[in-house]
Amino acid sequence: MDSSNDEALDIIITNVVATFRTRCHLNLRTIALEGINVIYKPDMGKVLMKLRKPKITASIWSSGKIICTGATSEDDAKVGARRLARTLQKLGFKVRFSAFKVVNVLAVCSMPFAIRLIDFTKKNRPIASYEPELHPAATYRIKHIKATIQVFSTGSITVTGPNVQNVASAVEQVYPLLFECQKPRCK
Amino acid sequence: MASTSRVHCPDHPDAILVEDYRAGDMICPECGLVVGDRVIDVGSEWRTFSNEKALKDPSRVGDAQNPLLNGGDLTTMISKGTGAASFDEFGNSKYQNRRTMSSSDRAMLNAFKEISTMADRINLPRNIIDRTNNLFKQVYEQKSLKGRANDAIASACLYIACRQEGVPRTFKEICAVSRISKKEIGRCFKLILKALETSVDLITTGDFMSRFCSNLGLPKQVQMAATFIARKAVELDLVPGRSPISVAAAAIYMASQASAEKKTQKEIGDIAGVADVTIRQSYRLIYPRAAELFPPDFKFDTPVDKLPQL
Repeated sequence: MDSSNDEALDIIITNVVATFRTRCHLNLRTIALEGINVIYKPDMGKVLMKLRKPKITASIWSSGKIICTGATSEDDAKVGARRLARTLQKLGFKVRFSAFKVVNVLAVCSMPFAIRLIDFTKKNRPIASYEPELHPAATYRIKHIKATIQVFSTGSITVTGPNVQNVASAVEQVYPLLFECQKPRCK
Repeated sequence: MASTSRVHCPDHPDAILVEDYRAGDMICPECGLVVGDRVIDVGSEWRTFSNEKALKDPSRVGDAQNPLLNGGDLTTMISKGTGAASFDEFGNSKYQNRRTMSSSDRAMLNAFKEISTMADRINLPRNIIDRTNNLFKQVYEQKSLKGRANDAIASACLYIACRQEGVPRTFKEICAVSRISKKEIGRCFKLILKALETSVDLITTGDFMSRFCSNLGLPKQVQMAATFIARKAVELDLVPGRSPISVAAAAIYMASQASAEKKTQKEIGDIAGVADVTIRQSYRLIYPRAAELFPPDFKFDTPVDKLPQL
């Protein structure tokens, strides 16, 4: 019955994706030869660098654009990005850390009840879509906060959005809808 | 000639006139008065027989127009010459120009042909083909999916049309008659729904029963039993998160194993497009409550406790 049951529900952020620029051209061959923990992908034109401390994988392009994935929080993403820029600086490039932006946040949440997907889809007709042949989850897209929620029949949901705030409000918004379509506890 | 609206009978202005195209009259049904005459006869001008040599086709009009789907194509072309004067020294025809008539609709006509071929392979009726053509035209004119392969959009339109008519085909069945992968058809399907702002009904297990069962050659009793089993299984929610196709296949397996016509999982998997391990998984979920899933008036050839346990 609570519409905001945040204290009972854990929203676990599993992935944060961020991009930033180094404002200088990078020589991928140098990075690939001299950097540690790097994978060179010449066919894709990028270098993958994996950091250990905030566990982050970064795709580095020669234009200086870098995409960081695998962080567990927004601060972690920033720390990892800075550390990455420092590593590149040590390799000799004139790196300037600029235009850091968190692009995508993926969170996982588990409802304490199972969900009847067919009912859920019927009630939320145009916004929710469910194609069992293609994917076992129903997708619910909230346009104004630009968040996508995938609802599984076991009660777990995954939420993706542009930042952590949106993700939290998306969960709050969708909770009452899911509560209506839950499966009765004892069958 | 009607000036304002249609002609109508002076005594019965509200009566809808009946058209007699043979005589070219518009007749009032109430009193039989002939109201309009000299209506153009739309019957054929000549009688043509199939055994006559079709060198000279006396028809003075072309093919039936397809007004809904084309741009109202009234263009004419210069045909190849027939006399001796139309050939130059080497035997080539003098007028060689065979420009395409409607370049803007060329891709659309191609797609319609492709749709017709695909639909023919799975014997779809005319109404589904027409619906598919209409959907394709709407999508094509909107241009929001312009980058996608036309064949992919055509296949997705075919899938949507079957769904809308209430006789859904699985993605795998559409894949079988198209060169496009299931992934791409699925992607185009979602894009088209968004572009046309429509939605489709969810698929149920019963939609596929009659097709799968008749392809397997199962009698009506078994088909009805399988439909009942699948519906009951979904109601009791024994199979959460399973695709309705897999549940239907498992239900058919259970029903056929209980009757005289036993089919193997592999055969059913072949027809339904489901892997036989998937049937096995779904069967394991419905097996514990098999007794309550069967319809009450079902004649068991193999009793419930002797059903195979996989």
